[in-house]
Amino acid sequence: MSNQPVLELKNVTMQFGGVKALNQVNLQVNKGEICALIGPNGAGKTTVFNVVTGVYVPTDGEILFNGKSLKGKNRHKITKMGIARTFQNVRLFGEMTSLENVITATDVHNKSGLVGSILNTPRSRREEKAGREKAHEILKFMGIDHRSDQLAKNLPYGDQRRLEIARALGTSPEIVLLDEPAAGFNPSEKKSLAELIVKIRDRGYTVLLIEHDMSLIMGISDRVAVLDFGEKIADDLPSVVQNNPKVIEAYLGVPADAS
Amino acid sequence: MPFNLRDTGATLWANSNKWQRYLIAGVIIVGAFALPLLEGTFLNTPRTPFVSVLFYPIGVYVLMALGLNVVVGKSGLLDLGYVAFYAVGAYTAGILSMHTKLNTWEILPVGIALAMLSGFVLGAAVLRLRGDYLAIVTLGFGEIIRITALNSSAVGGANGISNIPNPPTTFGFTFDLESDRNYYWVVLILIIITILIIRGLSARRPGRAWESIRQDEDVAELMGVNTYKYKLWAFVFGASVGGAAGVLFASKAMFIAPNIFNYNISILILAFVVFGGMGNIWGVVFGAVLLSYIPERIRFISEARMLIFGLVLIIMMNLRPDGLLPRKKREKIGIAGGEIK
Amino acid sequence: MDFSVLTDQFASLTFDGIALGFIYVLIALGYTMVYGVLRLINFANSEVFMLGSFATILVATKLFNHTIESDPLTGFKLVYTMTAMLVGAMIVSGVASVIIEIVAYRRLRSRTSNRLTSLISAIGVSIVLAEAVRMATSSAPMGSPRLLDKTILATVWGADIRVDTLLVIVFAIILLIVLDLFVNKSRLGMGIRAVSMDYDTSRLMGINLNKIISTTFLIGGLGTGAASFFYITVYEMTRFSIGFELGLAAFTAAVLGGIGNIRGAFAGGIALGLIEMYASAVLGTQWRSITAFVILILVLLFKPNGIFGESLQQARV
Repeated sequence: MSNQPVLELKNVTMQFGGVKALNQVNLQVNKGEICALIGPNGAGKTTVFNVVTGVYVPTDGEILFNGKSLKGKNRHKITKMGIARTFQNVRLFGEMTSLENVITATDVHNKSGLVGSILNTPRSRREEKAGREKAHEILKFMGIDHRSDQLAKNLPYGDQRRLEIARALGTSPEIVLLDEPAAGFNPSEKKSLAELIVKIRDRGYTVLLIEHDMSLIMGISDRVAVLDFGEKIADDLPSVVQNNPKVIEAYLGVPADAS
Repeated sequence: MPFNLRDTGATLWANSNKWQRYLIAGVIIVGAFALPLLEGTFLNTPRTPFVSVLFYPIGVYVLMALGLNVVVGKSGLLDLGYVAFYAVGAYTAGILSMHTKLNTWEILPVGIALAMLSGFVLGAAVLRLRGDYLAIVTLGFGEIIRITALNSSAVGGANGISNIPNPPTTFGFTFDLESDRNYYWVVLILIIITILIIRGLSARRPGRAWESIRQDEDVAELMGVNTYKYKLWAFVFGASVGGAAGVLFASKAMFIAPNIFNYNISILILAFVVFGGMGNIWGVVFGAVLLSYIPERIRFISEARMLIFGLVLIIMMNLRPDGLLPRKKREKIGIAGGEIK
Repeated sequence: MDFSVLTDQFASLTFDGIALGFIYVLIALGYTMVYGVLRLINFANSEVFMLGSFATILVATKLFNHTIESDPLTGFKLVYTMTAMLVGAMIVSGVASVIIEIVAYRRLRSRTSNRLTSLISAIGVSIVLAEAVRMATSSAPMGSPRLLDKTILATVWGADIRVDTLLVIVFAIILLIVLDLFVNKSRLGMGIRAVSMDYDTSRLMGINLNKIISTTFLIGGLGTGAASFFYITVYEMTRFSIGFELGLAAFTAAVLGGIGNIRGAFAGGIALGLIEMYASAVLGTQWRSITAFVILILVLLFKPNGIFGESLQQARV
């Protein structure tokens, strides 16, 4: 693990009306690490994902990806640059097969468009074939290749969650943002998902992870950042964060002290 | 499992090898070209010659339904002003034949290009809006085109343009008042080309992009789909087909007027798409053929045509929103040798 | 273009524009309230207006046996005939609106169907109603007997203040005040506002959604019905396509003011009425019918949230 930052949030503030969902948040995710983002409900975790992927334009502050500002970039451009995500409540293309879901994501780097597709040019054929192969490869990696011809909406819940990750990996990202990938899982499913996330990291992807399950996070994360009421209250090794009094307070709901 | 025409057809196709597929396609195409032979059978239409009905309304409407299907069925963009592109095509034919010596075949690409251009301009302006607003803005655009034509003396105002020349004799095929069959064949050729193009697009990147936009536009964009660009493409492609239909219609009818291109035409075409099955080429063809033929065959229905199409919209949406022949709903289970492996 | 008409008749155009504007405001209620609650363009509302306009005339001709040649009424007779026409139009429009909701929207709402489905269904309803009336009337326009003599009450800066236009303005203002009080003060009105703000939470909170939605359609229908009565009082004529012509203009008014917002509909309606009157004076009346569409497109392009700015395009992620 290096200390080369992939994603940096610098003093990011996101304000909705009078509410500051994020307040001067600084966050750095380094290449090849699993960074966990935790915090009570409404702390602003998903908002971080939304400002990074361009869903919201931050009120203030700057977001850098490999040192380049994401300001003014369209969502699909940000994805193309190498940031992919999943969603808290699964949002697959239900009426496409699993394979098509992933191929759609792989298309982001393809060059052929409408004309190439109509004329079925060699490049279009090559890209179509490559996309299919890559999608199968990712589905295999996620352990759901046997589902590739099934409609996404008909998949069992656990496989839908895996397909969401597969689709995100389809865009060949440098960093994947996983939004509660283990929500609704039982302990053994959580365990295998944790292993999968480590495998994803070992493949060279950087992972930013939102999760509620502490044991899962503490087991696999290289670093944990804690948000509370839109502010970052801690950012350190899991073992350190676990014993941080501010974090314990935030989770137990004890009012913060006067400082 | 109940009989399902779409699945039966899809399974047959999927289980066929290359030569069998050519054979199936060949039989369908030859059969379509041979339809004028059915003149004089029970299919005959009482008021208009059967072969003429094959060209208009059936052929022209099938063509338009295919174009609108890419916009509404595949991409989920509700365009209620599709008639505008049909009008642009027809008026291109009318105006160019008034002022130039160009023949129909030379006008056709110009009509298509101008329709695409108007689709592009309208699309570029309104496709950033979401959903319902698009419907009402496109409706407004259709009316703007019609009323502008109505009030412009340069294009004949309410009287429209008459004496638009028929196409010239081509490869020995004549085009005059007697040659309904040849017109039908021309529109059929355009339909086949359109189907081939749409099939090509659907199976590849643009098809996936449109499908993802229809299902969840926000997520599509976050997965790297340039949603604006692909929506615009869908719009422009739909417009090109509408424009082609317009040029062809004008060159056969020889006369056009603004009130031919009213809101009802947009609704009509929408009803065809919805009835047959949004997003599925064969469903749309089937819906357009059936719904444009029946009013010609059965007199009293012709009077209540729009009423019935309105009912079709309500009933289909409530009972069978995916149409008679829905798009791929079932999975590929049991289909061996499918294209995607 | 002829600007002299505009300057010569400015006061008169303004007065007529305001009266037309109030008619738009009332029809716009049928769009804006439903949009607020369901986030759905109530396409069939234009036909609710059309039905109301026929109801207004039919009450006069069938219930009171007036004909197109009847002399204007006076005194008590005038008051109760006109009241009956207004009430008749409101009942027909209100009931039609509620039935439309049940037939065309309710079933689709209960499923997790996409918005396209409800929208197309709504368009179907609009077509069916317009066509049914077209066939029943053989496409002929229907004129209204002039029961209210169009007396000129006063002339202000060259504008004739006629009794019928004044009536429209006064009664529309009263109706709008009542409605505003209802939505802001009554229990049911608060329910409507709660559903507008957050559909899902309201459902979880145990609000009876079907009741709220029916009430919304009823109010929208009543407003639209009143609009059709006022329209007939001023313009004395209707036909099957009137909904298409006026309904879409009224929708524009709703968007112009910021859809989902009653006060926005008010501002948008008046603005559109004035713009249409001025534009047709300058450009000629034949262009009047597309003024609304052009404005609609411009508003959506440059100020998609309307004058009063309720957000249309909130990110849904």
